Amino acid sequence: MRLAIAALVVAALAGSAAAAPIAVGDKLAPFTMKDAAGKDVNLASLAGKKAVVLAFIATQCPVSNAYNERMAAFAKEYEAKGVAFVGINANKQESPAEIVGHAKTHGLSFPILKDDGNKKADEFGAQVTPETYLFDASWTLRYHGRIDDDKSGKAIASQDLRNAVDALLAGKEVPVKEAKAFGCTIKRVAQ
Amino acid sequence: MIPLLLAAALSGEVDAASLRQRIESHRGQPVVVTFWATWCAPCVKEFPDLVALATRRRDVAFVSVSIDDKEDVVALERFVAQRKPPFPVYRKADGKDSDFIDGVDPAWSGVVPASLVYGADGKRSAILQGEHTPSEIEKALGEPAR
Repeated sequence: MRLAIAALVVAALAGSAAAAPIAVGDKLAPFTMKDAAGKDVNLASLAGKKAVVLAFIATQCPVSNAYNERMAAFAKEYEAKGVAFVGINANKQESPAEIVGHAKTHGLSFPILKDDGNKKADEFGAQVTPETYLFDASWTLRYHGRIDDDKSGKAIASQDLRNAVDALLAGKEVPVKEAKAFGCTIKRVAQ
Repeated sequence: MIPLLLAAALSGEVDAASLRQRIESHRGQPVVVTFWATWCAPCVKEFPDLVALATRRRDVAFVSVSIDDKEDVVALERFVAQRKPPFPVYRKADGKDSDFIDGVDPAWSGVVPASLVYGADGKRSAILQGEHTPSEIEKALGEPAR
């Protein structure tokens, strides 16, 4: 009995400990998650892609919305180069129906997963929208952070995500591995 | 005349270094620095809570820093002029956002709202990223010094 209680305590402690966020150089285990339409999407099905971009995005965040057009264009341009772009919405107040409608309105033709209970956002340590994670073909994280350095799109001086993907495709070292930007909070479920 | 009055609502611009100096100038008392923007709905929602907390906690120095871009400065000035907060409101000076974020605190993701809490010794004691209630900020502050 005492042993059983001790095991329960250990399990509870392990469950409550916040995992370290994924860092550049870490490997991701491909996971399955439902998209906003309710269909299971298995990231393992992207095997064969040269790279995968996972992007935490939102429907109501002005910063994320400022990037809608750029994300749609990026996804289309790089799909032809063997790069997959996948959105993840982890905001508790943004429903699957809203995500589907928002994607249609803004021409976001890439898959958008619904991270119920913000479990993946927590695992990743994702804080803002938009926030991108670039994985290579072996699911190693090679770049984390902003799409570029100007949310207005008028005076972009550093195309960080594009530079990282281009370097990866060229077999070169990613020049800037992490770059921060201002963004909206991911609205999480209460703990 | 009106634009001049509105302009007076802001206390000026800060970069990471000048913000650090302002925090240092309050050495001897706790400081709460809140980063926000007029386009950020949760930030606007929590603004009255911060005003109420600052009004109640006179032992704490509250500093507010808007990350609004230059084109939003009129909206920012109008907002601050209307709310009349009991704390100074600065706008982040133009410059690289990433330099500002890391210059303020490498542990800050760049999310807004965010509140950084500094002890009377000037050391950052807590970082509250995203939406937080006044009681959570107050918990991070601890009890008023006697």
